[in-house]
Amino acid sequence: MKVSNVTVRRRLFIILLIAIAAFIGLIVRLSYVQLVKGTELSERAEDSWRRNIPYVAKRGEIWDRNGVRLAYNISTPTVWAIPVQVKDKDTTAKTLAPLLSMTENEILEKISKKQMIIQLGPGGRKMTTEQAAEIRALNLPGIVVAEDNKRYYPYDELAAHVLGFTGIDNQGLTGLELTHNDKLTGTGGMVSFLSDAAGRQMPNSSDTYIEPQEGLTLQLTIDQQVQTVMERELDQAMTSLNADAIIAIAMDPNTGEVLGMASRPTFSPSRYQEVDAQVYNRNLPIWMTYEPGSTFKIITLAAALEENKVDLKNERFYDSGAVEIGGARLRCWKKGGHGSQTFLQVVENSCNPGFVELGNRLGKTTLFEYIRNFGFGAKTGIDIGGEENGILFKLSQVGPVELATTAFGQGVSVTPIQQITAVSAAINGGKLYKPYVAKAWINRESGEVVQRNEPTVVREVISEETSKQVREALESVVALGTGRNAFIDGYRVGGKTGTAQKVVNGRYSTSEHIVSFIGFAPADDPQIVVYVAVDNPEGIQFGGVVAAPIVRNILEDSLQILEVPKREKQIDRLYRYGETPVVTVPNLVGKTVVEIYEDLNMNFNLTSAGTGNTVIKQAPAAGERVERGSTIRIYLGDESDLPEGAGHQH
Amino acid sequence: MVKARSAPDIWLLISILLILGIGLMMVYSASAVKAFHEFGDKFYFLKRQAIFAGLGLFMMMLLSRVNYTIWKKWAPTLLIVCFGLLLVVLIPGIGVVRGGARSWLGIGSFGIQPSEFMKLAMIIFLAKWLSIEQQKITQFTKGLLPPLGLVFLAFGLIMLQPDLGTGAVMVGASMILIFTAGARMAHLGGLALLGVAGFVGLIIAAPYRLKRITYFLDPWADPLGGGYQIIQSLFAIGPGGLVGLGLGASRQKFSYLPEPQTDFIFSILAEELGFIGGTTLILLFLIVVWRGVRTAIAAPDTFGSLMAIGITSIIGVQVLINIGVVIGMMPVTGITLPLVSYGGSSLTLLLTALGILLNISRYSR
Repeated sequence: MKVSNVTVRRRLFIILLIAIAAFIGLIVRLSYVQLVKGTELSERAEDSWRRNIPYVAKRGEIWDRNGVRLAYNISTPTVWAIPVQVKDKDTTAKTLAPLLSMTENEILEKISKKQMIIQLGPGGRKMTTEQAAEIRALNLPGIVVAEDNKRYYPYDELAAHVLGFTGIDNQGLTGLELTHNDKLTGTGGMVSFLSDAAGRQMPNSSDTYIEPQEGLTLQLTIDQQVQTVMERELDQAMTSLNADAIIAIAMDPNTGEVLGMASRPTFSPSRYQEVDAQVYNRNLPIWMTYEPGSTFKIITLAAALEENKVDLKNERFYDSGAVEIGGARLRCWKKGGHGSQTFLQVVENSCNPGFVELGNRLGKTTLFEYIRNFGFGAKTGIDIGGEENGILFKLSQVGPVELATTAFGQGVSVTPIQQITAVSAAINGGKLYKPYVAKAWINRESGEVVQRNEPTVVREVISEETSKQVREALESVVALGTGRNAFIDGYRVGGKTGTAQKVVNGRYSTSEHIVSFIGFAPADDPQIVVYVAVDNPEGIQFGGVVAAPIVRNILEDSLQILEVPKREKQIDRLYRYGETPVVTVPNLVGKTVVEIYEDLNMNFNLTSAGTGNTVIKQAPAAGERVERGSTIRIYLGDESDLPEGAGHQH
Repeated sequence: MVKARSAPDIWLLISILLILGIGLMMVYSASAVKAFHEFGDKFYFLKRQAIFAGLGLFMMMLLSRVNYTIWKKWAPTLLIVCFGLLLVVLIPGIGVVRGGARSWLGIGSFGIQPSEFMKLAMIIFLAKWLSIEQQKITQFTKGLLPPLGLVFLAFGLIMLQPDLGTGAVMVGASMILIFTAGARMAHLGGLALLGVAGFVGLIIAAPYRLKRITYFLDPWADPLGGGYQIIQSLFAIGPGGLVGLGLGASRQKFSYLPEPQTDFIFSILAEELGFIGGTTLILLFLIVVWRGVRTAIAAPDTFGSLMAIGITSIIGVQVLINIGVVIGMMPVTGITLPLVSYGGSSLTLLLTALGILLNISRYSR
């Protein structure tokens, strides 16, 4: 084949065509990059040139219902370095080291990092404003002091479990700080500028400052003064009772608003690391579950009244001290029983067989329907994290024994918040409210209320008329019955004691009890309900001196704080012996521990020795006259250890 | 053989001068910031570039008056000298390493790249060889293999530096020349397959090349590593839009694009002068290619044709690769934009070669 000039020219022409096509290809691609993708690339490019120095937003404050600040922020500036702008790294490190309490090497390492901007932590984080001013005054190139802040709780331990606390980055870690972290956090701001690759500000560009937006302020239903009273009472109770734990909740029964919530052991939000994690992670008033004991009888009572199964005043009941149910003998907490009594006295005496009778009259389906309607067995839905369910018998598993024990508060497991919410419904006219602590969200700068949380009625459980009867019955429990130590002169207080054996390792403990009292006032128009439970008070004390006085003290101060007027018509208190300056020592031999808690509300201190559920010996002996407030020494043992002829008399 | 002597191709001349002018302008605009930071004189790069441009223009005007057939005689000497230089540059201590490749022979503060000279020497020699032995070109062993062997020997030496960009341009221009001379399509097809195989081999030998290949497809996969240059280039070009940010208003030249005055000068041009400016420059190059091919077609003899297409190819291939890289169409190769990028010896040499092309155009039939 001969190569001709024609071939050469044809091939040159082909090359020209290919070249034209290729160059057009370049133009097409260029038009795509500049005309189609131009805007998107511009934005991305701007982002890549932009350097931001963050300004941390202030966290929203937490206020009580009257605007008292329970949590706010104090300015604690943080030092940042922009490594490329730091001119003399060694000198800078040397200068900053003593001011930040860090070593030169630590600082040198940080300001040498190939990073746009870096915090000089830990020493340069959360400093005092004085330290910050000192560093600002140095005017070191590449070293910036940015606004930052730290959470501060002015009342320290007050409502610590409810409020929770924040971590080093101002992020909520527990309590409301965690539950409402998003709303409290706010939006960070920044100073941003366009920079060249070396971090210098690009010529002809200007800084922009985006102001940080403070988080919303949370106003609580909690009343700081009521909470303070509760904290004070729990502190005193811890000192005198030396309990494993104490729980207290105060609630407005007409709205479900939590007025106060406290528990021991507690912690200081600024030094939470000093206690065991369980202490701050478990908010006992909503987390702890246990048998309620007699306070649960309020539910049985309310159900029986609503179903017209009982006439409190005109119907009588005979308590022989025990009742035979399904082959099991269920004993009243009082040895020998209460004898013949009206059903109102059954309530006043907290008589177990009497409540078994009410349970039987209701039947298991109806009783359990009421229990569920009062909110047991399910979370109340309170707006704090960490709530527990509690446990009820499944209806299919309920036999006569389970029905009977449930009726007087055994064999069910409930949380304190469930109890106070249910009792609130029983006395407020029959409405079950969803408890809550977040009352409103406020924009602090404008003062505008962004969101207001209204009370939520979950359901109506009983009628207004039934509720009135419950209130009156519980008032007479305080005036005439087992709740005497919660009596406040001038206010109509209603209430109910409760004693439950703790379940330890799956068995009822003979020595550990949870002693509780729920009280409310005024009984004709309740404004506040207070529930207190003492877990395992040291030694054995009269029940009336464990929980009821705490409730009384809280109620008494809170009623004044809430400016509730005193009442005139009041059931006068029944005064008994033991309340005069010189008193006769009662006979305690043969009494059970539960009886001491439930019934014998006398002004004696007890010291106990031995183990068991029955008092087998006491000193001084019964009938001796001593000064009020003296100490009686009791020896505990089994019933079989009782000396001949002791006890059983009532 | 040579009869009529007319004026050089006016389209070609004007396009070259326009491109050169744009180039000087852009070298100043792109390098001023860097020049000021590094040398305290924002005209530093412009001054040097202007000196080489002046030298190059002088060479171009000179050679446009020197009958191109003289190069037939000088071809073997030039080739041997260039092979010698390619060997010398590899000797550590003599060859200077810049940008990771031992490509430079330093003379004072100025340096030359032997591989740049080899491109031109190879074209001249192949034009001579193929114009004499043209009828053997259809034969594989006698006609095709000797020039191919020569090309790949030179390519091998260049890759020892290594300088893939320059090597690729030389091979590309040489293959176009061989194609023009009349090599059989079957042979070229086979060679293309071989080329692919060789390419794969090169990737295996130096895996960084594979990364370079994949990064251009998705530069955002590694924005601070392999994709960095492409992203920064696109960050310059994209915001340019239709009319650009205005001469001197580039933001990406603020140290984001490494060497904005050399390999990525087109990015700065597109950023400052926009799509209109970029397209204008591409069209000017297309005119150079068109007039170059026309010169080849109209050349009075085969040697002239092959010389013309070879010189045109050097420019055309280099433009395609350089702009293709900066607008994200192909992997980063490290190659300058002819007549525009800053780079002394390369600019002078290109203008010298264009002087030869202009001379050939004077003998157009």
